[in-house]
Amino acid sequence: MSGVAGLGTDRAAATGALQAVRHRPPRSLTHPPHQGVLLVAPALAFVVVFVLAPLAFAVYMSMTDWPLIGSYEFTGLSNYLGVAQDPVFWRSVGYTVLYTAIVTLPILVLGYVLAVVVRSNRRGSTLFRTIFFLPYVIGLTTLSFLLVLEAQPDSGAVNVVLRWLGITDGSTAWLADGRLATGLICVMIVWGVSGLTMVLLMGGMQGVPREVHESAEIDGATWWQRERSITIPMIRRTIAMSLVISVIGSLLAFTQFYVLTRGGPGTETQTVVMYIYQRGFVQLQLGAASALSIVLVVVVGLVTAAQFRLLREKD
Amino acid sequence: MELHRRNVLGLGGLAALSALLPSCASSLPEADVGATGFGQDGEGVVRLWCRAATVTGVRQTVDAFNASQDRITVEVTPVLDGQYVTKLATAIRGGNVPDVVDIDDINSMLFIYRDAFTDLTPLVRQLDFADALNPGQLGLATRDDRHYGVPYIADNSALFYNTELLERAGFSDPAEVTADFDGILEAARAVGALGDGTYGWTIEGNSAGILGFVVQPHVWASGDRTVVGDVGDQRAAVADSPSVRSTFELYRTMWEEGLMPRANFSGDGARWGADFRDGTVGMFPGNYSLAVLNADEEMRAKTGVVLLPGPDGGRATFAGGDNLCLPRGGANPSAAWEFVRFALDLPQQVDLPDGGYLPVRSDAATEEYRERHPLAVAPLEGIQDAYAPTTLAYNLLFNQPDSPWIAAFRQAVFDGDVDGGIETGQAGFTRVLEQAQL
Repeated sequence: MSGVAGLGTDRAAATGALQAVRHRPPRSLTHPPHQGVLLVAPALAFVVVFVLAPLAFAVYMSMTDWPLIGSYEFTGLSNYLGVAQDPVFWRSVGYTVLYTAIVTLPILVLGYVLAVVVRSNRRGSTLFRTIFFLPYVIGLTTLSFLLVLEAQPDSGAVNVVLRWLGITDGSTAWLADGRLATGLICVMIVWGVSGLTMVLLMGGMQGVPREVHESAEIDGATWWQRERSITIPMIRRTIAMSLVISVIGSLLAFTQFYVLTRGGPGTETQTVVMYIYQRGFVQLQLGAASALSIVLVVVVGLVTAAQFRLLREKD
Repeated sequence: MELHRRNVLGLGGLAALSALLPSCASSLPEADVGATGFGQDGEGVVRLWCRAATVTGVRQTVDAFNASQDRITVEVTPVLDGQYVTKLATAIRGGNVPDVVDIDDINSMLFIYRDAFTDLTPLVRQLDFADALNPGQLGLATRDDRHYGVPYIADNSALFYNTELLERAGFSDPAEVTADFDGILEAARAVGALGDGTYGWTIEGNSAGILGFVVQPHVWASGDRTVVGDVGDQRAAVADSPSVRSTFELYRTMWEEGLMPRANFSGDGARWGADFRDGTVGMFPGNYSLAVLNADEEMRAKTGVVLLPGPDGGRATFAGGDNLCLPRGGANPSAAWEFVRFALDLPQQVDLPDGGYLPVRSDAATEEYRERHPLAVAPLEGIQDAYAPTTLAYNLLFNQPDSPWIAAFRQAVFDGDVDGGIETGQAGFTRVLEQAQL
């Protein structure tokens, strides 16, 4: 009896051991266990502390009436319901989308043209690259403050030039009118950030093998045919990346509007991030601002995913 | 040591928690202002934040205080007006606050309702001139009969006029002709008719703060209000006020008839009052600093001042200026109060017009004061009736570039749509007040 029982126990032990062997991941002969986790731990800790924890905290805050000063209470999803019923938020969303739609294509096209001009290693290319990239280096804040001065009626350079050209009488109040202000900001942005697109696309273009262009040229392809059939398809990923960066930047636009119009006149030039800033740091309602931020994060994530999907390479 | 996934996540969670806990702190500790010796024989450094717009007047007082004794040194940090609320709120949240703040009086309530300032009631009641303090400003630092600050400098709006232009236009008694809107319009037309680039009236039409400061008193002069009710239960009354309509109509008429400079459309405050000081404008709703301090002697000699009129008479002024408050958690509150007490003394108050501001004590209108600052007398005499709305949303309603008040004004005046402007104002005020209630 005991012998049979002992046999059964041995079988069970053998079966358990076999299962354990089956479920155990294959061991590396050269790396001790957990070495991979150890190696990524610093980066993981960094991401947890500086990305995931603040994000989780923001989600928590968005479910409270957290003020910048004072105590708070848990309010559940009321801030999110408030987002849905907030006409100013949705107006700012509409304005931000319009602004993004206006500037995205010109930034890409101008960036592409500039990249074509400077992509070769001809004499002077470096100088032009520097010149074209300079506005981006100067930064939006400085550019915006300069434009505040140069857009002044009668005295600003914009009005002086337009009067000299006979287009206006030079007294246009660019920043006191929503449409004019939007137009002016769009022109400044296209000029100011196309340099970044240029650098990104130039890097992609320089990675296209010269032999491909040469053989196409021998086959009689024109410049435009080579661009359309060789360059653009081969830098598709770079174009996608440029577009994603540009669109995200536009959806999160803040600096230029804060400096130039502060969202006015009225709320005509108020972007989403400006509105979130208002709720958080002017109205001191960090809970509501956090809810708006979470919604914005989700929207930007969805837009970016859609862009990558649309622009991904077809294998 | 073995590192398991569970350990990594645990450590991450602890790190996140330790990062978050400090930000969950509630109110900072309040100084015991009733303690024996509080506000006497203090020493060390007192950190004072002031508005950049009023730094001249503040420095004048601070320099005098620092020179008057050697126990306490007050250090001034000017903060841009547009960033003041945010920066102070952030400092309070971080627990690193200045000892005393010189804060725009209309923003005081925002912090008082969030228990950020020290209750100074016993100290204020001990002041032998407490009854003479600007009631409008003190009211903006008072909640439930408790004082959380004291008025320090007044910056009241008023109507300044060019006596020479008005006389040339046929008006020898400016106070009479500016008594109501009919008189103002008549005077503006007559001054405009003088030609040579003269205008009857001027205002910075694209500056939210200025429009709140000088346009609203026309409405208050008739007893109307744009915001009614107590904090926490306030509602918009823009559409209810006949005076708002009359005021917008007056401005629209003056704009359409070219009685105001074209530059008023885009005026953002950078050149506020410059045309008046140049002598080309008959009437200028502004403040003492701009109309008088920045003007040359010749212009001052032909400047007169009255408070802002209502549509059918009455006069009003904006209870603007700064309050001094002691944030909770300050490192040196006793010495800070010593400075506050010094700043309110008569010699310092009488000198304030030298820095462009007005005293907050009605008893400062001494003979010496009247002689030294004749154009600062009328605004000072009006402080007993000075008013500003007590609301947590003043910035949002009036001061921000996207505020509903400027939107309503511009629509009514520059777009010529008074009805639409009033609708915009009413809807905007309603939205902001709903969001800003406690």
